[in-house]
Amino acid sequence: MFKVAISSVGMLRKTIDTRDKNAPAQNRVAVLNSSEKRSDQWSLLLIAVGENRDRQAFAKLFKHFAPLLKSFAQASRHEGWFPGLSEDLVQEVMIKVWQKAAGYKPEKASATTWIYTVARNCRIDMLRRKSNTQHLPLENEDFWHEPDEETPISLLRQKRSEDKLQNSLSQLPREQDEILRKVYLEGKSHAEASNELGLPLGTVKSRVRLALQKMQILVTPEYQDELHHE
Amino acid sequence: MNNKLTQHPDNAMLVEFSAGTLPTAASICVSAHLHFCQKCRAELLRLDQVGSQLMTEAEPADVDDSLFDSVMAKIEKAEAAPPENIDQKSDNGFPFSVNRLLNNPAHRPIWKRMSGSVDVARFKTGQSDYEVALHRICAGGKTPKHDHQGTEYTVVLKGSFSDERAVYNEGDFLVRQPGDVHQPMGAQNGECICLSALDAPIKLTNPLGFLMKPLLRINPM
Repeated sequence: MFKVAISSVGMLRKTIDTRDKNAPAQNRVAVLNSSEKRSDQWSLLLIAVGENRDRQAFAKLFKHFAPLLKSFAQASRHEGWFPGLSEDLVQEVMIKVWQKAAGYKPEKASATTWIYTVARNCRIDMLRRKSNTQHLPLENEDFWHEPDEETPISLLRQKRSEDKLQNSLSQLPREQDEILRKVYLEGKSHAEASNELGLPLGTVKSRVRLALQKMQILVTPEYQDELHHE
Repeated sequence: MNNKLTQHPDNAMLVEFSAGTLPTAASICVSAHLHFCQKCRAELLRLDQVGSQLMTEAEPADVDDSLFDSVMAKIEKAEAAPPENIDQKSDNGFPFSVNRLLNNPAHRPIWKRMSGSVDVARFKTGQSDYEVALHRICAGGKTPKHDHQGTEYTVVLKGSFSDERAVYNEGDFLVRQPGDVHQPMGAQNGECICLSALDAPIKLTNPLGFLMKPLLRINPM
C-alpha cells in the first residue's frame, strides 16, 4: 500500500513538472483527478451540489452539518455573541455552501474542512457586522482567497495528515485539548485564554505549540525538504 | 514560487488566523503573506483541519426541520436576484484582499508623499486600532532611521528593501516592536511596495525628528 502511494505521488510530481507552464488550468485539474480522487461521502455530495445543483445531495449535507454547525455556534464565547445567533449562523453557512459549492476544489481540502472555513468566516463576519460602526469592504472569506497551487498537496499526504490528526487529537493531555477547544470553538485569542485560565501568555502559546507538534501540524524540517524538492 | 521568502508569521499568529480570532489588521497582513507563501498555506490547511476535526467531534445540536425549509426559501430568493458583479482579476500580482482594499468604491486610497523617497496610501478597514496602508519606497530610496512605539506588521508586495539586518523580498512578513530601530532602504533595481499595519506612529531617531511628527501621525480607519 505504501509503495503504491509513493509511486503515485511520484507520477503526479512528474506530470506536474513536465507540463507546459502555460497549459490551461483545467488540464492540470484533469491530471490530478485522473490519478487521485477524494471519495468520502461528504465531499462527493458537495461536488454534486456544485456541479449539478443537486438538492437531494444538499439535503443530506444539511442533515449532517446543520447540527454540527449549530453546536459550533453555541460554543462561541466571543464578546457580543449570544445563543440566538446560532441558527442564523447555521442558515448563513448553509446558504453559502449552496452558493459556493461550485468553487469547492476537492484536491485542496475535504468537504468538512472546507465547510469549517466557511463557518469560521461567517462567524467573524457576523461579529464584525454587529460590532462595527464603520464598514469593512472585505468579507472574511476574501482573506482566505487562495491562489491556485502550483504544486497542490497530494491527497495522499492530506489523507495521512487527517488520519494522524484524528488519532492524535483524542490522545492529547487534557490541558492541551482544553486550550485548543478554547481557541477554535470558543473563539478565544491566546491572550484571552491566558487571562481566563490565569496562565502566562507564554504558557498558553507553548501548550498550543506542544499540541500541534504532537499532531504533526507544524512544518517539520523533513516536510520543508519535500516542498523544496517539488 | 518565491524561494527568496524567508520571514514568516509565527505559529501563534497562524493558529489565531485559522481559528478566526486574529484581529482584522493583522489578518489582512497574514493573508497577504499567504498569497506568496506555499509553506504557510500548507500549514494553514493543517490548522484548519484541526478546527474542522474539533467541530465535527462536538455533540450535534438539535435542529428543527423548519430550518432547512427556511434555508431553501432564502436560497431561491437569492437566486431570483441578479448575480453580483464578480471582481475582475487584477494582474498586478498583489494579494486578493489588498486589491479589494485598493478598489474599495467607498474609499479609494490616494497616494500621498510622506518624504523624499516614500509615498503612502491609507486603507479604510473599519477598525480603529491599526493604520493599514501601502508604502512605496522609490528605487534606492533611503528612509529615515526610526524606532517603533507600537507593533508594526509589514509584508513586501513588490520589489525588495533592506535594513541593517537583512534583505526582504516579496512575501516576507516582518513584525517590529518598540526598541527595534532600523533604517529601511529600497533596492536599487526598482521601487518597493509594502503593506503595513501600524498601531502607533514611528519615532525618528534624528534629534530633529520631532519636526516630522505631524507627517508621521497615524490614521486608523
